[in-house]
Amino acid sequence: MDRVVFESVRKVFRHRPALFNWLGRERGGETVALKDLSFSAAAGEVLVLLGPNGSGKTTALKLISTMLLPDAGSVRVAGFDTQRDAGPVRQQVGIAVATERSFFPRLSARENLEFFAALDEVPRRERAERIDQVLDDTGLVEQADMLVMKFSSGMYQRLGIARALVKRPGVLLLDEPTRSLDAATTAHFWTTIRALARQQATILLATHNFAEAVTVGDRLLLLQRGELLADRSIRSGESVEELRSFYFRTTGEVDEAAGMAHWAGRVP
Amino acid sequence: MNSALDKLYAILRRDLLTAIRHRTGFVLTFAGLLTQLAAFYFLSRAIGPSFRPNGIEYFPFLLVGTGLCTFFVMSTQAFLETVQEAQRTGTMEVLMTTSTAPAELVILSSISAFAGNLFNLVVYLLAGAAIFRASIHANPLACLAVLALSLVLALALGITAAALQVTFQKGSALVWLLSSGMWFLSGIMFPIQSLPRSLELVARAIPLTYAIDATRMALLQGRSVTAIAFPLLVLLGFSLVLLPLALWGLSVSLHHARQNGTLSFY
Repeated sequence: MDRVVFESVRKVFRHRPALFNWLGRERGGETVALKDLSFSAAAGEVLVLLGPNGSGKTTALKLISTMLLPDAGSVRVAGFDTQRDAGPVRQQVGIAVATERSFFPRLSARENLEFFAALDEVPRRERAERIDQVLDDTGLVEQADMLVMKFSSGMYQRLGIARALVKRPGVLLLDEPTRSLDAATTAHFWTTIRALARQQATILLATHNFAEAVTVGDRLLLLQRGELLADRSIRSGESVEELRSFYFRTTGEVDEAAGMAHWAGRVP
Repeated sequence: MNSALDKLYAILRRDLLTAIRHRTGFVLTFAGLLTQLAAFYFLSRAIGPSFRPNGIEYFPFLLVGTGLCTFFVMSTQAFLETVQEAQRTGTMEVLMTTSTAPAELVILSSISAFAGNLFNLVVYLLAGAAIFRASIHANPLACLAVLALSLVLALALGITAAALQVTFQKGSALVWLLSSGMWFLSGIMFPIQSLPRSLELVARAIPLTYAIDATRMALLQGRSVTAIAFPLLVLLGFSLVLLPLALWGLSVSLHHARQNGTLSFY
């Protein structure tokens, strides 16, 4: 059964110039972030969202989380419309984003997780055990009682993932979740993602990392300037190079990294 | 109900831990409170005992007026700062995706912001009575009635400031208007009867004037609930109108922010 459904979703950001605009150069206008986007994701599926910057990946995740509302079309999570039934949708969804600093700096990691677990209505008797579990999953056990104001960006990111996991969401939204993580934590995180998918969680993963996409993904959506360019499954054993080649061929972007590798090989 | 209490506990704990860990700020708040109290005590001594506005000694008159004014302004300010900090750090967007409804979250957060300032108000009044010998003849029931209605008013002000912050990123304008307008028009330093007739009418249209008046009568003159029925009824009327209006305003502002993607703009 499809747990996340986008139907002809359109999202436009309108920019209003400042009141006394003659002092600056700001102009009004609008950016179309998503153009009639339709797709669905099933229970137990890891759906990878690929695309260049500004392609609409984060906007799509924010629409599912109810942080944003669509201008046209509908977004449904477990049958609930994000506009009309935001409450039940929020009970289903957990989100972690790459630039994760959204914590209370003078609380420890554990205190932050306890706070968000209470707001997410995690039963009190299960809270301590679940928090220990996600701290372990994200490699934060030793930093559990450290104030988060002392955290590095990688630790912030791990805590963001821990927060998304603590409510055991049916739909997990991850926006570049491993951008600041070291190799060992990243590998452990990918194992956790696959385990969650086996427990029937639906996972939407926005990334620029082709290795991450082929390692954890079941299917991919390729977006560019708010439009869906491709919706296909990721073959078992598909290589990073194959996916990379598909990406650049479909988006029409220039693969400068491949060009540089070719050039570097010819220079003594 | 249990769930709401659990969330309120989580929010109170977060705010208490944050306040305690800002050690310097915690100490300075109390030092500032005592300094303010001393300034008003010496001001009343300089003016002399013959000035008794509404039949009340001037220092207790100032004590209640300035204490309540500080409570209203600082509560609104504290609540606004919570919203602004949430926007700056990005917690605002995350908080809006938790299982807690935005209105519930805002009300619980404001209760926490007010609890701290209510504690400061009680310390301020007790210090005024204990250190500077302000004479207090309280009617507990009447005091509780005024306090309950004052809290509802403060809640409405805080929520309005939050709505302005979310929509225009300018909730501080309300705090500025509140602090400057209250000092001048709500009978904090002098009775509103001293104002020109036109300004006195404006003062009578401000709910905080009634909150301060009723508190003076209940706390300093020991008047009963029936004796202060008029200001209580006026406060009740304002509360019944302003709180739903503030909640509606916040709901509209959050909807617009989610539509426009400006939830974390500050």
